Amino acid sequence: MDGTAYRNSFRDLVDDRVDEGVFRVDRSIYTDEAVFEAEIERIFEGGWVFLCHEGQVENPGDYFATEIGRQPVFVIRQKDGSLGCFINACSHRGALLTPFRQGSARALTCRFHGWAYDLGGRCIRIKNEEGGFSEPGFSRERFNLRRIGALESYRGFVFGSLTADVPPLEDHLGAAARWIDLLAGQARNGLEVVPGSSTYMIRGNWKLQAENSVDGYHVTTVHRVFASTISNRETRDATTGMRQTESGRIKGNVPTGAYDLGNGHMSIWALHTTPHVRPIYESKDWLEENLDPVEADWILNRGRNLYLFPNVMLMDNPSTQIRLMKPISPDLAEVTVYCIAPKGESAAARAARLRKFEDFYLTAGMATSDDVAALEAVQDGSSGRLSRWNDMTRGLSDLVTGPDEDARRLGFEPAGCCPDWDHEGLFHGFYRAWLDRMENGAR
Amino acid sequence: MNAGRIDDGLEREVAALIAREAMLLDRRRWDEWIDLYTEDAVYWVPAWANEEETTTDPETQLNLIYLRNRGGLEDRVFRIESRDSYASVPLDRTVHLIGNVLVESANGDSVEASANCLVHVYGKKGAATRGSLYDFRFRRVDGALKIARKKIVFIDDRLEGPIDIYHL
Repeated sequence: MDGTAYRNSFRDLVDDRVDEGVFRVDRSIYTDEAVFEAEIERIFEGGWVFLCHEGQVENPGDYFATEIGRQPVFVIRQKDGSLGCFINACSHRGALLTPFRQGSARALTCRFHGWAYDLGGRCIRIKNEEGGFSEPGFSRERFNLRRIGALESYRGFVFGSLTADVPPLEDHLGAAARWIDLLAGQARNGLEVVPGSSTYMIRGNWKLQAENSVDGYHVTTVHRVFASTISNRETRDATTGMRQTESGRIKGNVPTGAYDLGNGHMSIWALHTTPHVRPIYESKDWLEENLDPVEADWILNRGRNLYLFPNVMLMDNPSTQIRLMKPISPDLAEVTVYCIAPKGESAAARAARLRKFEDFYLTAGMATSDDVAALEAVQDGSSGRLSRWNDMTRGLSDLVTGPDEDARRLGFEPAGCCPDWDHEGLFHGFYRAWLDRMENGAR
Repeated sequence: MNAGRIDDGLEREVAALIAREAMLLDRRRWDEWIDLYTEDAVYWVPAWANEEETTTDPETQLNLIYLRNRGGLEDRVFRIESRDSYASVPLDRTVHLIGNVLVESANGDSVEASANCLVHVYGKKGAATRGSLYDFRFRRVDGALKIARKKIVFIDDRLEGPIDIYHL
């Protein structure tokens, strides 16, 4: 089918008739060029996206180069300590200004013709200015860098939007903010991004990564081998303490849940059977003394994956992770993963956190590689256009609209709740937000 | 200078051991591959800290793989042989090509060597050729050299497909 046929009928791609027991999405949303182009324009370049963690731009001059949709930007710590974010292109002839993905600079000097910008994006130097701009009244100000439309942080997590026509960040995050609190609030000295990262390509659509990150249903199949491998290891090595891996959730024998958090955000949780092997457990006393008891309980005893629409996942399960996603084409996404950890945790906890991260969360690890293979299989299968729909009705009869008891106690207002992370009701919120943005642009 | 003599015999022995490891990986003779390692062998693939440098301290920084004993290699083989790993069925085909083998030092039972490796991978999504820098420490156990430490600097980033022990 000609992709352009969808341009004005994205609604046809999401068959949302929950009252009749139907919720399904057309598989062309993963493969169609026109759909993808509209997503870049209306979702990624048309509203809030995650950029980086403040710890990655700690001191004046520290920069972090990334993209919003297809547009290169950099976040920079300005002289006064505030953050700025600019299109990453020299005002003269458009060369990228940052030689590295992450670095530190006293000024940003273009390596092409030597123009320079201060930390606030003001053009402060034009090579041989007098010889080329001698007209009266010439001001370098017309060459200041272009700031993006909106830039805000929530508890250290930095978000930006190319367009200024967006709601305040806290409104965009909505119920998801409380889930960020659970990650940020566990670190009495704040969180830091641990040195080292890994970038991998998924030969699949970005929405498949979004779905997978909060799809509890795949865990007992795709990660069954992770559980059996770890179980074999722990028997063989008689592993003790934090070197053990919490694998009750993978075996599928613990309480779980899933939330449609509104605005396309989603989350899942599972109870830890062995919370004492988690690195955060050394902070148990501090957490219980200083935090709301419900919050402390969630931090200590529930593994959590949070997906923030449209481009980041914050995981607090075997280890703690920022997973940043960039859509490249309908069938290609780039993912970069960072380990994020409480500053000042013990050396043993940090090492355990890293080993758990490496075991699970990398394509060189023993679980994420299997996730990626599964997503790529869905991408390939989605070309089978004669079979049109992906079904997302599992758990429909148990789907709760509005908050459940857990949500009320922790204090967040989800749009919908699933009493089991095997259920798929959370994806309804994701695709409703997707459709709203595709039809109406930035919100 | 305390270093032991590096004679032709040792250089040949080291080159043959490195080539043997590559052969066993390409031919999926996993148990024989594991037997090349000492019980306490460290297997380390650092992550990239930035465009130019890898991470340097596994206790405080992220790695692609950091296995503290031979059991870590056994875990990988257990997973591959289970046939239950989505990423490992079907298994990618690989050819390792080893070059630039240099014995750096020899001290008693301990030998250090470096080598380069190109791995050509063919899998579900096509072919790729990727490069690694190897740093080995060997230990002589009952007369035979065994791998006591292997550090692999995997020079590629933006990784496509899984990166398992047979890709490295």
